Amino acid sequence: MSLFGTTSGFGTSGTSMFGSTATDNHNPMKDIEVTSSPDDSIGCLSFSPPTLPGNFLIAGSWANDVRCWEVQDNGQTIPKAQQMHTGPVLDVCWSDDGSKVFTASCDKTAKMWDLNSNQAIQIAQHDAPVKTVHWIKAPNYSCVMTGSWDKTLKFWDTRSPSPMMTLQLPERCYCADVVYPMAAVATAERGLIVYQLENQPSEFRRIESPLKHQHRCVAIFKDKQNKPTGFALGSIEGRVAIHYINPPNPAKDNFTFKCHRSNGTNTSAPQDIYAVNGIAFHPVHGTLATVGSDGRFSFWDKDARTKLKTSEQLDQPISACCFNHNGNIFAYASSYDWSKGHEFYNPQKKNYIFLRNAAEELKPRNKK
Amino acid sequence: MGRKKKKQLKPWCWYCNRDFDDEKILIQHQKAKHFKCHICHKKLYTGPGLAIHCMQVHKETIDAVPNAIPGRTDIELEIYGMEGIPEKDMDERRRLLEQKTQESQKKKQQDDSDEYDDDESTASTSFQPQPVQPQQGYIPPMAQPGLPPVPGAPGMPPGIPPLMPGVPPLMPGMPPVMPGMPPGLHHQRKYTQSFCGENIMMPMGGMMPPGPGIPPLMPGMPPGMPPPVPRPGMPPMTQAQAVTAPGILNRPPAPAAAVPTPQPPVTKPLFPSAGQAQAAVQGPVGTDFKPLNSTPATTTEPPKPTFPAYTQSTASTTSTTNSTAAKPAASITSKPATLTTTSATSKLIHPDEDISLEERRAQLPKYQRNLPRPGQAPMGNPPVGPIGGMMPPQPGIPPQQQGMRPPLPPHGQYGGHHQAMPGYLPGAMPPYGQGPPMVPPYQGGPPRPPMGMRPPVMSQGGRY
Repeated sequence: MSLFGTTSGFGTSGTSMFGSTATDNHNPMKDIEVTSSPDDSIGCLSFSPPTLPGNFLIAGSWANDVRCWEVQDNGQTIPKAQQMHTGPVLDVCWSDDGSKVFTASCDKTAKMWDLNSNQAIQIAQHDAPVKTVHWIKAPNYSCVMTGSWDKTLKFWDTRSPSPMMTLQLPERCYCADVVYPMAAVATAERGLIVYQLENQPSEFRRIESPLKHQHRCVAIFKDKQNKPTGFALGSIEGRVAIHYINPPNPAKDNFTFKCHRSNGTNTSAPQDIYAVNGIAFHPVHGTLATVGSDGRFSFWDKDARTKLKTSEQLDQPISACCFNHNGNIFAYASSYDWSKGHEFYNPQKKNYIFLRNAAEELKPRNKK
Repeated sequence: MGRKKKKQLKPWCWYCNRDFDDEKILIQHQKAKHFKCHICHKKLYTGPGLAIHCMQVHKETIDAVPNAIPGRTDIELEIYGMEGIPEKDMDERRRLLEQKTQESQKKKQQDDSDEYDDDESTASTSFQPQPVQPQQGYIPPMAQPGLPPVPGAPGMPPGIPPLMPGVPPLMPGMPPVMPGMPPGLHHQRKYTQSFCGENIMMPMGGMMPPGPGIPPLMPGMPPGMPPPVPRPGMPPMTQAQAVTAPGILNRPPAPAAAVPTPQPPVTKPLFPSAGQAQAAVQGPVGTDFKPLNSTPATTTEPPKPTFPAYTQSTASTTSTTNSTAAKPAASITSKPATLTTTSATSKLIHPDEDISLEERRAQLPKYQRNLPRPGQAPMGNPPVGPIGGMMPPQPGIPPQQQGMRPPLPPHGQYGGHHQAMPGYLPGAMPPYGQGPPMVPPYQGGPPRPPMGMRPPVMSQGGRY
C-alpha cells in the first residue's frame, strides 16, 4: 500500500531553510520531515505494533521528553502527545496491544505511558540510567525488561514496584533486543548474552563477541518460519556482525561486514570509521537497515550478503531508526550523537526525524 | 582438440552463441561485449560483476547483459568463459553441435573411446556437470583472480596476499581473493601447456588479461596467458578455502550453492526445552559457555570483509583497513580504558575513552539537572488519577536511593536521589498545541536552558 502520496509538500514543513540556504544538507534524501521534532538529540524511535490501526511513532530525546505522532498515509505527521522524564530518554517501546508505551531514562527509571488516559507511571527502578526497555509477551506471562548501566537486567510486572526477576550482567547494558522467545543483550567490554524467555527468562548463552570494538546496537532477526534465529550486532567501528544462534555451519554462516566508513580514498587520507548507531530489520523482507554517525543510512540483504542502498550524507549523524509494523515506513533521526565529543555539540541545531517509504528499496536481491 | 575434460569442444559464448577457438579469446570477447559497462566502458569479469559495478559506481541498475541474445540475458548468472553455463544450455549446445557435425563427432568419440572406457559418451556427459557445479561454488572468489597485484607484479610471489591493494577500479564488487589461491593454482590444469613449470607466473596467469588500470602488469605477462586457467582446477581446494575464508565467498548468485541458505529450518525449538534449557543447550557449546560459533572471533583473520566493497571504498582501501582494524583489535581485546582510534589508514570517529557515547554525554551537568520533585509537576492536570496503583505515591518507594552502588567509575553520579519519586508526570501536553487537552507547555520544553530557574523546590538535592 503506497504510504506516501507525493514526497513533496509535507516534507519540508517550511522549516527546512534556516540559516544557510545554500547548501543545506539536512535532508539530502528529500524524505518526509516529522513536524515538531524534539529539541535535543533523539535517542530512540519506535513505531506502533500492528494491533493499532494506523501508524504512531514514538521518539525519546535528550530533552527528557517522549513524543508521540500519528503518521498518516499521506505522509502527514500529527503530534499527539508528550510525556516527560526527569532525565534524557534512552529507549522506548510499545506493548503488544499498542495501548502502552514504555520509556527508559537516565533518571534511572522506566515508565509506562498509558496512551488512552495519557498518564505515565513509573514501573521500574535501577541504580543507574536505564538504557533499554522491552516488552515481553509470553504465553504464560508478560513483563517489561529493563537493562541498565548498573549491570543488571530486570523484569517487571507493571503492577508491582519490585522486579519479578533480576539478572546480573557482566557489564553495563548498552543495547538489547527482544523477539520472543529470544532476547539478546550487549554490554560494555564487548559482552554479549542471549536469553531464552520461555517459561521465564534465563540466560541461554554468553557469546564471545564477533566484533572487536565496543558494542553499540543489536537487532534480532527471524528465519523464514518467523522464529528468531540470530541477531545483528553493530559496533562503534563501522562494522556489523551477523550471528546465528545455532547455525549449521558457524564458520560460513556467521560473518561481519563493514559499513559507515568514509571513502578514505584510495590514497593518502585515512579512512574515517563511524559508529553504527542503530540496526533495524524490515519486518517483511528480512533485510536490514543500519544508521551511522557518518550521517548515512544503508540497506542490506544479509542472505545475499549485499548492500542494497546507501543514502546521501546528512549533515548530522543519524542517531536512531526503525521500521513501522508492515515495513512501509522507515524512520530515522538526524541529531548529534556525541561521536565527536562535546566540542561539536550545537544546541541550536535542529534535530529531525525523517520518514521514508521503505516498501521497495528493501526488497531482497534475487538469489540464484 | 580431443582432450579429456574438454567442455563441449570449442569454447562458445553462452550469451551470444558464438564459437571461439580458445577459451581465452572467448573470455576477451565476453569482457568486451557482454561485461563492459556502458557508462564508463570498464570491462568487468562477469555479469553480476558488471551489475554491481554499475550500481555502486554509477548508481544505476541494469537488468540484462548487453549484446546478448534473447533468453540469454540473465545478468545474475555468473558465467565466466565456459564456466557457469547451466547444464541444460550445455546440453542444448551439445545437441546442436551433434546435429551439425555428426560424423566428425562420432569419429572423435570413437577415437577417444579407445583411450577411455567404452561408454565415452556417457562419461563425458557425466563428468561434465561436475566441474561446473563446484565451480559455481567458487566462481565468485576466483572470478577475480585478475586483481593483479599490480605493485611489484614481476616479482610477485605466489602468495599474493595483498591482492587488492592498488587496484581500485577493478572490481569494486569483488570480495578479496583468498591468498590461499595461488598454491592451488598448479593443480591439474587443463591449459597448463603454457604454464608448465611457471609457478610464479601461475597466479598472475590467473589474472585477467589486464583490464584498465593494470598496465604495469603487461610487460611481465606473456601475452598468451589464458586467464581462466587456474580456476577449473580448483574444486578440491576451494572447499577448503570456503571454510577458512567464509565471509568472502559471497557473491549473490553463485554462492548460493556454496553457502547454504542460512537457516535451513532451524530445528523446532530455538532454545531446546525451556525448562532445562540451560543444560540442554550446552550441547554445541563448551562447558565454559564458549560458543561453538566463536570462529568469527577466534579466527585468525581479522574481520571478515564480506562486503568489502560496500564500504563504498575501493577494494584496496578495504584491505588496508582490514589489516588496520586488526591492530586496534589486538589492543582493544585487552580492554583498556581507551580505544586505539587512529592508525595510518583509518581513524575511528569516537571519543577515546571506551565508554558509550550516551554515558559520556550523560555525565554533563546539563543532563543531570533533573526535575526532582513532582512538586511542580501537577500542572493542574488531572494528576495522577488512575495510576494503576503502581507505586504508592511518594515515599513508600523503596529507597532505591543511594543504595546506589557507586556507579561505575566514569560515570560519577547520575543525579542521585530525586528518584524517591515515581516522578509522575501526569499527562503533560505538548506545546505544539495539537491533539488533546492542552496544558501550557509544561517544563517539557526547555529542560535545557538555565536549569537554574527551575523550581526552587529542589530539595531532593540532585542538583549539581
